[in-house]
Amino acid sequence: MKILNVYRSEPDDTVKKLVEIVTRDRESDTFDLGADNPDYSVLVDKIFAADQTICWW
Amino acid sequence: MAKSLGIFVTNPDNFHHVFGVVKAAKAKGSKVKVFFTWTATHNAKLKEFPALCELADDVSICVDSYKKQGYDINDVPAGLSPKEMATQAQHGIIIEDFDSYISF
Amino acid sequence: MEYKKVCLMYRHKDYAVDGMRSALGLAVENMYSYGVVMDTEIEKLDEHNLESIEMLRDMEGEIYSTVPANVEKNGFEPITIEELGEKLRDMSIVIPYGLK
Repeated sequence: MKILNVYRSEPDDTVKKLVEIVTRDRESDTFDLGADNPDYSVLVDKIFAADQTICWW
Repeated sequence: MAKSLGIFVTNPDNFHHVFGVVKAAKAKGSKVKVFFTWTATHNAKLKEFPALCELADDVSICVDSYKKQGYDINDVPAGLSPKEMATQAQHGIIIEDFDSYISF
Repeated sequence: MEYKKVCLMYRHKDYAVDGMRSALGLAVENMYSYGVVMDTEIEKLDEHNLESIEMLRDMEGEIYSTVPANVEKNGFEPITIEELGEKLRDMSIVIPYGLK
């Protein structure tokens, strides 16, 4: 199970805690949508490579 | 063969991300469906919305949400047909029938 | 056929009720569907919305909350962040809903 965590803003403590539990002992990747000019092509590649994508607030 | 991608939109301020992902996925040959609900139905009034409908394979909005956000359901946004003024069943289709899923 | 499990999380009071409607919509589509009201205290729900939650429960769904006031007022199931994290591990789809 490979999880992709996408962040639309800086993750707060609650999100960090949930991500820590969800990704425990699993393969995971991240993508920062809060960055200037995010590379959506890279994001789509990561979505397709993951079994599940969670796009946090 | 590129995977298909379903996108569920509940945040009214993420249209630029939705458009960016749809463009990138279509460039990879992916089939893309987008469903907007609740306050995100305001996105249907953005000037770029018809272009999104043109680009994606299927775009629909929750008609009940659209009405609750103050719009007349007979005022079908440019880019949509009346049958694309739909229900939450569209979200079910995105989850069941598409390879990958992302929500905004 | 394996049924999908979906969890929607609401952190903004203006999105909780509609988010519960989305959860019900997925339960109707034969998915196990759960909603979680986090961080925010919401109003007491009206009869119509409470009936919707009962329908969700009839389809083996549930609404949880990390906020005790929501549990008392609206009969949601209590859940901690740690318990929610464990629950999310079991989901096919996880949806941070609406605004933070």
